[in-house]
Amino acid sequence: MTNLIKSEMKKIFHKKSFYIVTIIFVLYAILTNVIYKSIDDFSINDPEVTIEELEKENSRLDLNVKENLDKYVTNLSNIEIKKMEDTYKNGEYLINKYVFPLVYQANLLEYMEKDLEESNIVRTKIDEYLNKIKDNDWKYFASMRMSELKNISNEDKDEKTDIYIKLTEYRIKNNIPYDEDNYLNNALIDVENNLSEYYNLKNKKTSKEEQERLDYLKEEMLVNKYILEHQKDIKNNESLKGVLSNFASEFGLFILIYVIMLSGSIVSEEYNKGTIKNLLTKPFKRRTILTSKLLTVLILMPIIILIMVLIEIIVGGLILGFDSLNIPILIYNSSTSLLEVYNVFKYLILSLISNIPIYLVLGIICFMLSTITASTSAAITITFLFYLMSNVISNLALVYNLKIFKYFVALHWDFSYLLESTPNPYHFTPSFSLIIIGIYLIVILALTYIFFDKKDVKNI
Amino acid sequence: MSILKVENLSKKIGKKEILRDVNFEVNAGDILAFIGPNGAGKTTTIKCILGLQKLTSGKITINGYDIKKDFVKAILKVGSIVEAPEAYMYLSGYDNLLLDKNYYKNIKEEEIMRVVKLVGLENRIYDKVSKYSLGMRQRLGIARSLLNNPNLLILDEPTNGLDPEGIKDLRELMIKLAHDGIGIVISSHNLSELENFCNKVCIISQGRVLSLKSIDDLKKIDQAKYLVRVDDVKKIKKYLTKEDKIVNDTLIEVIKDEQEIASFIKELAVTDALIYEVKREDLTLEEAFINIAGGKKID
Ligand SMILES: Nc1ncnc2c1ncn2[C@@H]1O[C@H](COP(=O)(O)OP(=O)(O)OP(=O)(O)O)[C@@H](O)[C@H]1O
Ligand SMILES: [Mg+2]
Repeated sequence: MTNLIKSEMKKIFHKKSFYIVTIIFVLYAILTNVIYKSIDDFSINDPEVTIEELEKENSRLDLNVKENLDKYVTNLSNIEIKKMEDTYKNGEYLINKYVFPLVYQANLLEYMEKDLEESNIVRTKIDEYLNKIKDNDWKYFASMRMSELKNISNEDKDEKTDIYIKLTEYRIKNNIPYDEDNYLNNALIDVENNLSEYYNLKNKKTSKEEQERLDYLKEEMLVNKYILEHQKDIKNNESLKGVLSNFASEFGLFILIYVIMLSGSIVSEEYNKGTIKNLLTKPFKRRTILTSKLLTVLILMPIIILIMVLIEIIVGGLILGFDSLNIPILIYNSSTSLLEVYNVFKYLILSLISNIPIYLVLGIICFMLSTITASTSAAITITFLFYLMSNVISNLALVYNLKIFKYFVALHWDFSYLLESTPNPYHFTPSFSLIIIGIYLIVILALTYIFFDKKDVKNI
Repeated sequence: MSILKVENLSKKIGKKEILRDVNFEVNAGDILAFIGPNGAGKTTTIKCILGLQKLTSGKITINGYDIKKDFVKAILKVGSIVEAPEAYMYLSGYDNLLLDKNYYKNIKEEEIMRVVKLVGLENRIYDKVSKYSLGMRQRLGIARSLLNNPNLLILDEPTNGLDPEGIKDLRELMIKLAHDGIGIVISSHNLSELENFCNKVCIISQGRVLSLKSIDDLKKIDQAKYLVRVDDVKKIKKYLTKEDKIVNDTLIEVIKDEQEIASFIKELAVTDALIYEVKREDLTLEEAFINIAGGKKID
């Protein structure tokens, strides 16, 4: 038997098509990694109104109407702020948080109250802030924030205030400027921004949507907390870690192509080329020969996936760098409200294992078709069509809650929900799904063996 | 010693009866020429022997093992080529042989070069099979069939694609192997290719064995072909039988033994026909066969 399997491997590794797909895979991997590297360039910024548009709008306003004046002041302030943002590239956050209210106030005083004197006082304050921003003196704002928080009177103090204070202390202690390229800064700001919404939702009876929002906020809080505590850039997915954590969805199609290519040709090609006659006149039972081919597919499946992972690590490492590999992957478990921490490789392996049933079932179906039809193209095409149809059916079953598809294998073969700690979308238990898959495999293989044992070798 | 025994083999595919009651036996040292026209059922018989097709009824025994019950043991010492000599085109000839070697226990790698030399392919054996000519593939096929030291060799039209040199080599190889005690079945639609080295002939047509004879039996036949040239065939027409052939207005062809031809000429002598020439030609095996089989044409 081992000799048989060795021979099958030898045949496969001598085939051109195997290497062609591998080369295509390498190119595809390069492309994918480049895309990950440039996610930033691709991300579409919110279509912001431009300064010109605002100026145009203002020139059209009739300033004698009261509401128009309000609009005019707002636009004017926005124009000023945009200009500042353009001048002080890294100061966006501070400008919006500290300068914008002052600019608005100054404009209100100037155009609504017509109080130029007061307005100018405010403007000196603005200039002071802008100078600090220009000098990159972020500590000035941090200590300002600190004293603001410290001065909150005791009766206004609550849990939130303590957290704000801790965040600001953290910023000062760890020297974190208000810089949007700094992941620690982003985590601090995220927490600050979400905190009051989080407490509001937490302390009241929530509707279904609010509950979802709350779950999301909880997860965000925990993740940001983890980032700040461990100082690891968890959220950065423009990295090798990001690609690897999405391996199954980025490269799943290639795994499928390999599996179907192998299992779809391993039997039928011998028939097409007539070499089956050599094989079947060797001193083995037919079922031994079929088993050797089946085992070859089953052994090669994980090996190919492993090779793909290695290729991706090398290609991705060269393009995106290897540093991100020591950053863990965090999965939020909504039922326990806890974060689960995975090493990148552990997560990758688990996610691949959770997808194995898909490849296994499709591979075995293709193997059966390859044996029964003796036609490689028929086996591959039908399996692909089955896969596409399966996706449609599982979506339909999900959307319309169709019970007739309860025993359809495609509703069971994806176990990734276990890893993501989310409930099964169809409310099946894992063991029920495993039993269904087992039954499918046994029936398909039984048919294949019976057929292969009886089949006459026709004229080629 | 009986190596291959085919008993009452019948094969139906769908409703079509392809073989009916085929019987023959191959002993050690036999070379059986398995002759029949296209579509006679030669390949089908061979496939049944090799277990590539299931028998509808009948029994096939190889080296004492029934192929239905003990296929693995039965097939162990069989070498074969069925129809065309297929090989893995993307591998070299040597790698193909290496693959075959691995299917058997106890075959050493040196064996490969031995069979390669037997078929005279040593110069090209490391080339990919996709670069071989048909004749070279046929030679590789013969080498593959010899790799497991078979004692039964079944070759389906092995002369296909071989040049005269190749056919001569094959003939010598077969004679040597038979001399070493191997039983050989060679199919062909042309007996003349095989007649000077086989010792048994089995003629099959439309799925039935027409005749199964040893060459020695055939040689005993003292019939010969006589060409008789006269001035006008019409004058002797009433003395001709159905089997006799009129070649043209002045020439006839008859198959008779010495006794018969003598009395035939006597009969003609009393007619007013003028006999210019009577020429004797030995029968080829094929013609002898047609005659035995009752004049049925096989090709
Ligand atoms: N799969 C099949 N289905 C139906 N009929 C078949 C099948 N295979 C073979 N036959 C028929 O069986 C008969 C014998 O075919 P076979 O291939 O054995 O002939 P053969 O003697 O080898 O001829 P050739 O000299 O052309 O190789 C033919 O009439 C053929 O049409
Ligand atoms: Mg044939």
